[in-house]
Amino acid sequence: MNPNEFDVIIIGGGITGAGTQRDCAMRGLRTLLIERSDIATGATGRNHGLLHSGARYAVNDAESAEECIRENMILRRIAAHCIDETDGLFITLPEDDLGYQQTFVDACKKAGIGAEIIDPELAKRLEPSVNPDLIGAVKVPDGSVDPFRLCAANMLDAKLHGGQVRLHTEVTGFIREGDTIKGVHTLNHQTGEETDYYAPITVNSCGIWGQHIAELAGVRVGMFPAKGALLIFAHRVNNMVINRCRKPSNADILVPGDTVCVIGTTSTRIPFEECDNVAVTPDEVTLLITEGAKLAPSLSETRILRAYAGVRPLVSADDDPSGRNISRGIVCLDHEERDGLKGFITITGGKLMTYRLMAEIATDLVCRKLAVNKACTTAETPLPGSEEKSYEAVAQKVWESPTTAQKAAASRMGTRASRIRSANRRDDDLICECEEVSVGEINAAIDRMDVSTLTDLRRRTRVGMGTCQGEFCACRAAGLLAKAHGCVERERKDLADFLQERWKGNFPIGWGDTLREAEYTQWIYKHVLGL
Amino acid sequence: MRFDTVIMGGGLAGMIAGIALQQAGKNTAIVSMGQNALHFFSGTFESLKEPDERLAALFSAAGIRVHYREGVRLMPLGTFKKAALSLEDIDIFPNAKIARRVLIVNFLGYHDFFSSFLAEGLEKHGIECRIRFLSLPDLDNTKAHGEMRSVQIARSMDRIWEKVVQEIRLMLRDEDTVVLPQVFGLSDTTVPGRIRQSLPARVVFAGTMPPSVPGIRTQIQLRRRYQLLGGTFLMGDEAIRAHEHEGVVHSIATNNLDAHYLEADSFILATGGLFSKGLRSNPFQISEPILGLDVDHPENRNNWYNPAFAEEQPYMGYGVKTDAQLHAVKEGVTLKNVYAIGSILGNTRPELGSGAGLAINSAFAVVDTLLAEK
Amino acid sequence: MKLQEYTTSAHNFEECMKCTVCTAYCPVLQVNPLYPGPKQAGPDGERLRLKDPYFFNYALKYCLNCKRCEVACPSGVKVADLIQSARIKYDTHPPKLRDQMLASTDFMGKLARPFAPIVNAVTDLGVTKKTLDMVLDIDHRRTFPKYSGRSFEGWLKRRSKEQAAFPEQVAYFHGCYVNYNYPQLGKDLVKVLNALGVGVQLLDDEKCCGIAMIANGMAREAAKHAQHNVDVLGKAVSRGLKVVTTSSTCTLTMRDEYPELLKVDNSAVRDSLLMATRFIYEKLEQGATLKFRADYHKKVAYHTPCHLEKLGWGVFSERLLRMIPGVEFTMLASNCCGMSGTYGFKKENYEASQAIGAPLFEQIKAVNPDVVACDCETCKWQIEMSTGYPVMNPISILAEALE
Repeated sequence: MNPNEFDVIIIGGGITGAGTQRDCAMRGLRTLLIERSDIATGATGRNHGLLHSGARYAVNDAESAEECIRENMILRRIAAHCIDETDGLFITLPEDDLGYQQTFVDACKKAGIGAEIIDPELAKRLEPSVNPDLIGAVKVPDGSVDPFRLCAANMLDAKLHGGQVRLHTEVTGFIREGDTIKGVHTLNHQTGEETDYYAPITVNSCGIWGQHIAELAGVRVGMFPAKGALLIFAHRVNNMVINRCRKPSNADILVPGDTVCVIGTTSTRIPFEECDNVAVTPDEVTLLITEGAKLAPSLSETRILRAYAGVRPLVSADDDPSGRNISRGIVCLDHEERDGLKGFITITGGKLMTYRLMAEIATDLVCRKLAVNKACTTAETPLPGSEEKSYEAVAQKVWESPTTAQKAAASRMGTRASRIRSANRRDDDLICECEEVSVGEINAAIDRMDVSTLTDLRRRTRVGMGTCQGEFCACRAAGLLAKAHGCVERERKDLADFLQERWKGNFPIGWGDTLREAEYTQWIYKHVLGL
Repeated sequence: MRFDTVIMGGGLAGMIAGIALQQAGKNTAIVSMGQNALHFFSGTFESLKEPDERLAALFSAAGIRVHYREGVRLMPLGTFKKAALSLEDIDIFPNAKIARRVLIVNFLGYHDFFSSFLAEGLEKHGIECRIRFLSLPDLDNTKAHGEMRSVQIARSMDRIWEKVVQEIRLMLRDEDTVVLPQVFGLSDTTVPGRIRQSLPARVVFAGTMPPSVPGIRTQIQLRRRYQLLGGTFLMGDEAIRAHEHEGVVHSIATNNLDAHYLEADSFILATGGLFSKGLRSNPFQISEPILGLDVDHPENRNNWYNPAFAEEQPYMGYGVKTDAQLHAVKEGVTLKNVYAIGSILGNTRPELGSGAGLAINSAFAVVDTLLAEK
Repeated sequence: MKLQEYTTSAHNFEECMKCTVCTAYCPVLQVNPLYPGPKQAGPDGERLRLKDPYFFNYALKYCLNCKRCEVACPSGVKVADLIQSARIKYDTHPPKLRDQMLASTDFMGKLARPFAPIVNAVTDLGVTKKTLDMVLDIDHRRTFPKYSGRSFEGWLKRRSKEQAAFPEQVAYFHGCYVNYNYPQLGKDLVKVLNALGVGVQLLDDEKCCGIAMIANGMAREAAKHAQHNVDVLGKAVSRGLKVVTTSSTCTLTMRDEYPELLKVDNSAVRDSLLMATRFIYEKLEQGATLKFRADYHKKVAYHTPCHLEKLGWGVFSERLLRMIPGVEFTMLASNCCGMSGTYGFKKENYEASQAIGAPLFEQIKAVNPDVVACDCETCKWQIEMSTGYPVMNPISILAEALE
């Protein structure tokens, strides 16, 4: 059999693609996932990382709200090591209408979301960072989710079920016979190799870039690119998600995630051509801090780590210029039915939260087309790493008396942390001191998780995501990558790219300690190390 | 407490000024908020040409051994950079073809010395390289928490460098040069020289990720010299406020001494750039926090940066305004007895050089002015 | 509106630039591989602990709280405060009996003082030392500070009238050591201050500053002492008195640890609490004079205790000593002696404690002074035990040199 032949080709290595590949692979299909860059580089990795309870949508979009709470409960079961069950607050501030609170709670209840009005004093005790002026608070089952980890775990599971993954590989065209898509032409950006892959079905799960892929296939999917800017603060200011209890607006969600917290977002319509290069403007930064400080006043004095922006993959529906009133609903397009193009499916819209459901819908359609009669099991089967609920239990089981780095590894890898238990003391050497990432953890990622660059490594291990933004660990990790790939020259360029990528997120918030750190990084790399 | 001159900042600039003034019989104090940029010193006094006699004498009295030759030096990531006046630890070569065959030796588990980058960089110039790792139980035992840093190794090396030399002798084949990390001679300054003498190949010390061992040693030597000359070194204290009257500062307040002011005839500001907090920035401006001196910079924050990391960054060039004699300027008025030296000048005075060169040149310039006054 | 004009966090850990300078100056890291070092235990660890208290590491107990990391930090991060606060907040292990005993300096002092000769004789016995070592893990190589039969408080009370006659008055926080173990230092201070025309008063029932309790996991008890002392100091301050001390550690504790670690507000008294050396220096600067013996000759090597270095007031001791005509002064290079209060007494810390102090001991031997001067009682025990050279507080040297 031709090794380049599959049952289904999935384009896009975001969470939807990874989830779809996992679902297809678990139903026994031979799958190939193609991603032009790395996992989670689009909207998947550029949002709050909020495990929505659905409460945010309850009033305006009951369908989304119901999807959210259902998937929320499922993810708690299947993705324990990617999720932090923090709970969330919807707070009412003096300038907000307290009357909205009841509307909100009623809508939540209707959608099946456990929303409970609590005394503002209790809210302050539960979440000491919350704006003390609040006049109302509702507790909801929000949480946070690490989108990189979630995406990687889905892809890993797909691979464990026989799936193949080609990262840094771009689809340059489709192999089309008559009215049927038979496969794709690809170009590997790292090797320059061009390869054709074949499958009876190709799934377009490229988020906002789905518009471009559809064009390549000769059909039109109109997307509505809406940029959302966010800020990452250098430590966890809050331990519960904090939202505003009012109509969704700018910068009204503060989400704790791993060692940091994230405020967002804005919403600005941008032309499709800008999707590849979105930048955060000073005005957006000001707005995010100002609004964010209303949720947790200490944000106005907390160091900001970086600014970033994502593009929501909304399918255009009406002429709303803000893009906020569009349903976050899932869109699954059967292009055979819609455009008469066989062998091509687009799955888009939706949210990080509902990726599994999107994958299920897409996979159901794939299976129908391939006449495969297998039920979806992704809602019951834990992702690799998530077999144990708490990372404390994992760490204790693997190491008995774990070090800080081992505890941190368990919190990131879940049960897969057992893979880095090693008799070799060298594996305990620390590479990233801010996030406590060891040689063992990095090598495990390189071995199993398709790492070709430092930026790829960051998404899988949090190397360089801490306070120093890779200043110290980048060089050390580059040494390990050079060894693994047997090429120093490539690594030298990779190191420069990595520092550039970090700087891109730093300079929009370049003042105070961030600018001090930047000056220091400049000094080290240019004057001391000689990059 | 009263002094002739109070120096704010205990880095290279402040220390050179302090030593030079003490040598001239002045009574000075240095207020140093923590350790300084010498801890990240590359070992090369950038932008300095041949040392004048005065600098050479100052270094030699402090026990700091430097050498001067125009050429290139091997950088930690395997590149070559122009160098001239440098600490003796730093080898300066006429060109990048520094050897025929090189043995690069690193310590097992030490990730702050980039042996593979060094090898690749040298191989580009037709130099054959071999990398070997040393495993020393002494090092593993001092290693805390998976971290192995230059200074920790350096502390052991003062004791066990001979063991390292023995091991390297066994490793050497036909290499003419051995490249070692700069982790020798932290407290015993003779160690690098003794290593060079005891190996049958040329020894080149290549830098590591900071802290810089030669830099820390230099800082210790300077401080010791300054205190030996009777200078008052207030370590860990920070100038927080200056008391000024009609363009003359008569005293400063510090964090630790609160109401006990430091009075002096003149004040030297050597508090460094952004990293060292000599300058501070918020979203709206870059300012000098102790005296509120004038800092030249574009108002629009967007102009502070170059989006390309590798390019020159405008923000690194901003510094306090000074007159020809480095008198500081506040709200357009020249302060008669306050001088700014070192990296707080940014590149507002390009004729004085940059980095370590700027620190030294500006320090001597102000010392000359002060000594000429009376 | 506040828009990021300042970025602050508790103990400002976010100002950490990860430069690792603190680890270069940490005395513990050099000798104890179990200790994660100030950067990891402090600012790095803090981010993780804020994520989940599970990341608290019990190895933080190896921190001496010498504050050398804070003195060295180019960013002004309160590294040691971060570490000690984390211990207070997250350490759930109850302190051992030994640690409680070592921590309760004034309680033990009260208990032991009336029986001083017996207690001193007993704690000196080899068999007692072995027993303490075996039962309580107190290292047998240590010598317990002797208890004095008469307390300093009693001595000064008997002289309250003559002290009240001086035109200027000051209150003295003598601390446990002066009261129970070494009243002579208190007497020396009275002599010097009297020579300046200043009378010395006791505070109205001072308690131990609490540092040993903080170090031994008894923060709640320490906070009680702190509140009591702040109240007592407040009474003196409200009478317009300055309060002087002769112990750098008690001073640092009351000035900085009370608000930073124990959250006890001392703002009303902080500025009035001074090391006696600073008080005396300032008097002399204002024109007061001391007359020194013409025949006084001593080679003095001065060791700045870590906590005095943190206070930044070593300069006053240095200047006073240099002022004495017959003193041949040598400044010892900054190095922790390794004792750090009760730390060195613990059997498990003995080796580390001696290794930390070794460079200091070598320096002292090289200088070969008549006496080592130092403002800290626990440094005194350590240096005397480890070098054989006598150690005197600068105040005692001043007193000795007075006409």
